[in-house]
Amino acid sequence: MTYIFFIWKSHRGFLLVSMIFISVIQFLILKMVTTIDYSTMLPQLLEQLPENIRVLFGDNAFSMATVEGAAAGGLNHPLVLVLLSLAAILIPSRHIAGEAETGTLELILSFPVRRTTLLINLYISAVVFLFVVIFCALCASLLSINMFHQLTPVLFVKLLTICCNLWLLFICIMSITMVLSVFEKEGSRVGMRAASVVLFFYLLHYLSSIWNTIQFTKPFNIFTYYQPSSLMSEQRSFLLHFGVLSTLILICFFVSLYQFNRRDIPG
Amino acid sequence: MKDPTVISVSNLSKYYGGVPGVQEINFDVNRGEIFGFLGPNGAGKTSTIRMLLDLLRPTSGKIKIFGQQIERHSQEIRKRCGYLPGSFAAYGNISGAEFLRFAAAMRRTKPKKQKSLIDRFQLSQGDLAKKIKHLSQGMLQKLGIIQAFFHDPDLLILDEPTSGLDPLMQEEFYHLLREIQQAGKTIFFSSHNLPEVEKVCHRIAIIREGKLVALETLEGLKKKKLKRLRFTLSHPVPGLELPGASLIVQKDLSYEFLVEGDIQMLLQRLSTFPIEDLTLPETDLEEVFMAYYRSEE
Repeated sequence: MTYIFFIWKSHRGFLLVSMIFISVIQFLILKMVTTIDYSTMLPQLLEQLPENIRVLFGDNAFSMATVEGAAAGGLNHPLVLVLLSLAAILIPSRHIAGEAETGTLELILSFPVRRTTLLINLYISAVVFLFVVIFCALCASLLSINMFHQLTPVLFVKLLTICCNLWLLFICIMSITMVLSVFEKEGSRVGMRAASVVLFFYLLHYLSSIWNTIQFTKPFNIFTYYQPSSLMSEQRSFLLHFGVLSTLILICFFVSLYQFNRRDIPG
Repeated sequence: MKDPTVISVSNLSKYYGGVPGVQEINFDVNRGEIFGFLGPNGAGKTSTIRMLLDLLRPTSGKIKIFGQQIERHSQEIRKRCGYLPGSFAAYGNISGAEFLRFAAAMRRTKPKKQKSLIDRFQLSQGDLAKKIKHLSQGMLQKLGIIQAFFHDPDLLILDEPTSGLDPLMQEEFYHLLREIQQAGKTIFFSSHNLPEVEKVCHRIAIIREGKLVALETLEGLKKKKLKRLRFTLSHPVPGLELPGASLIVQKDLSYEFLVEGDIQMLLQRLSTFPIEDLTLPETDLEEVFMAYYRSEE
């Protein structure tokens, strides 16, 4: 537990900024639905755009005019995804490869602590970190909907499902970073590589939506398993997303555990 | 009866890819001794230490500490050890006091000697309240020493422990080592600083390019390997040469040689010279050390 508290203390500033930023974005997006009447204006505007650009706004960009669409779109906003990606990459890259680089990992592992315990502590910290940020986004969405619209039990469950899906997606990104981190000895290099992997998946997801030739990549892309608009309109099953992302997380966890237990420190 | 051997290393090797870091080294460290582990940078000292702590995994060989194999009982062994890394690094964004609390909590032990060590190494409350990133190298090293000693461990593994300490603090550190050794604790002391090893260690291992080239008591090492011979002649001898000795100083009729190995032959040869005065001054460890390195090259 000491290590978890220490990690929390190290990242509390970033955690606070992320919580506030994401909450404000969610709150404002949902408030805007009521203050601007673009229910007719937006679809017309979007229809003028080329197909490729329209895809960029998401599957159900046209539904942004509705409360459901805005709530789903807010949780898929590029700024939200970038901030959560940073949060997911930060802990594994700084606390395994980064600490191997600075020498603190050598000191910590000279204490009577098992490597498995250390890695599990890191996982718990990162998972709770992501949970807190996403929970704030959920609370801000619910508050905004409750203040300016009508919060129904169905909408509440759908938002909860989307947030769980978002949480799983970023635990998956964190787990991929952890795998990179246990093989590496430079935190910055891990951060760059993990960010490149996320960007690659995101671009591939976008390109595969507009380019039939690479559509076969969709089942292998993590962003395929996070489609808030489709979840909101019940076009996709959360269970499928849950199954795929959970499996990937478990695989990454066991690979990290295996490699971390056998690697040399500092490496 | 307790086993007198605290560390037992047999046929230990570590290869990085195909590059040898440590090759087939063997040594034992006994309870209550200060064991010097000497070698220049890159000789394999730190690799050996990291294997002792299960940070590096050996390519081959065995390490037993307190009679237990390190790879199987790593956690129990590390509980009884204190470690000061060569380049001690702690988290920059916490204070010294917070770091010591963190280290004690990670060790799950009471830092019995923390207060006395803080006083001894003259760290004020103000110093401890500073963030670690704002501490000087010397202060940081003191913090490292405190965390290595504060739980009164049975075995201390110290890698270049005095780097960054001023001479006064170095002396205080040597006193501390002697006190701890007298209390029956074992100290594994790695250094490339010859005078300090000479000051505190009972036995010394010299490592060179990953191989152990000497393992002796301090006195034995000095006697066995290298002697200094100083003499003055009553009149000049043309082409003066001595078997197994190398001239290091000559001033008028006074000569100083470094002698390796058996001196019997040398004394026989010397008896043929008109010697006015002859002394065998004490050799310092630096000369021994350099002789080992020269002889291996």
